[in-house]
Amino acid sequence: MDRYQNIRNNIIDKYSCLVDDKTKFAESINIPLKQSFRVNTLKEEKKTVIKKLKEYDPTIKTTEWNDNAHISELNNLGSSLEHFVGHIYIQELTSMIPPLVVKDLITDIKIIDCCAAPGSKTTQIAAMMENKGHIIANDARHARLKSLRGNLDRLGVTNTSVTLRDFKSFPNTKADLYFVDAPCSSEGTIRKKNTVARTWKENDYLRFNKLQNGLLSKACEMAPSGSTIVYSTCTFSPDENEKVISETLDKYDLKMKNISIENLRSESGITEWNNESYNSEVEKCMRVWPHHNDTDAFFIARMEKC
Amino acid sequence: MLKKLDEVKKNVLLEYCLERFGINPNIWEGYIWHSGSKNKIYLANTLELERIIPESKGICIFRLDKSPKPTTNFLQLFGKYVTKNYVELDNENTIKYCMGEDLILENSKSIIPGFVLMVNNKRFLGCGHWNGEVLKNQLPKSKFCKINFL
Repeated sequence: MDRYQNIRNNIIDKYSCLVDDKTKFAESINIPLKQSFRVNTLKEEKKTVIKKLKEYDPTIKTTEWNDNAHISELNNLGSSLEHFVGHIYIQELTSMIPPLVVKDLITDIKIIDCCAAPGSKTTQIAAMMENKGHIIANDARHARLKSLRGNLDRLGVTNTSVTLRDFKSFPNTKADLYFVDAPCSSEGTIRKKNTVARTWKENDYLRFNKLQNGLLSKACEMAPSGSTIVYSTCTFSPDENEKVISETLDKYDLKMKNISIENLRSESGITEWNNESYNSEVEKCMRVWPHHNDTDAFFIARMEKC
Repeated sequence: MLKKLDEVKKNVLLEYCLERFGINPNIWEGYIWHSGSKNKIYLANTLELERIIPESKGICIFRLDKSPKPTTNFLQLFGKYVTKNYVELDNENTIKYCMGEDLILENSKSIIPGFVLMVNNKRFLGCGHWNGEVLKNQLPKSKFCKINFL
């Protein structure tokens, strides 16, 4: 058995106890994802771009839960002229979720994207804001800024300042909305070819938990009263998801907000894992499982600073 | 470090945009122009940050040495406002352009030498330089790409 099949099997074994349908969950993990993308409305109208792309792939479909999330049978849309001129951005469907759960807030406001590279969410938010307001797109690693800036340039984003800082030492900066799309074990992206490097051990999850706690705590510290914080990861691991939220709720005065996206099937956060109980408010978090919407896995929480 | 572009240089660029590409100066309302290292000019509509120096703001739109050189990012974003000095490419030449090749085009003789916007079927490809004989490719190497679908 190849190494990646082993990793997939370990994930199935570990998380089957959390899902409603173990067979469908296991099947979905072994089916590769199709390429998905969104239209960059900063440069061109959606219908114009989709009409052109359908000349290359007549089977392009739009999801039922996001009218700007499209799926193609082609796996090389990156070599289309639409990609070259910045009319489309190739992005995993689940990665488009965080801006959608705060759609009601995204107008002419100030936003900090704490871990922004390669810029999928930043460029999506900028398009939703129609290049108005202000985004601070931060990342801790210089090597990742190249892809971030490249994408901002290609998509024509003008309302964004790029900063290079470990977010834990970022100067206190007031904003209306903070996105903490934290580095994680990325187990939820297992359907993408060979993206999960290895089977993680307990210590690895604790290491990620510490990093995620640090990033989310920093956002909570600098967030003014009434501002919103969105925490997300692309992993199944409760240690990196509900546990982080639970520990944060214990430290800071935050109000969890219910989240849902019309036509996207999702489940609540879990309150127990590995003989550990979490704050009951974590039930308001959203879990997206791969077999429910034919996507990656995703976790997201929306909090308001009191 | 980025600093606000002085008015003299800004006016040079506004005039260039109008003269060379016919871009109406009204579209620049709300934007702040910055200068950075290597004579690069950035265009942004962002706020000033307190206590932190950003790596960049908005997008790089010009390089201003002796004369202005528009960037591909600039022409891709503002191509819809360009009313003159653009070159419409057929699919074959579009593929060559995206791969970084220079082009010899018979129908460009009437264009005044200088920088031009390259277009394929209302899709704004980027920057080229017409010297009266050859359209020199101005794409940065990082953007060279083999186009399979157009």
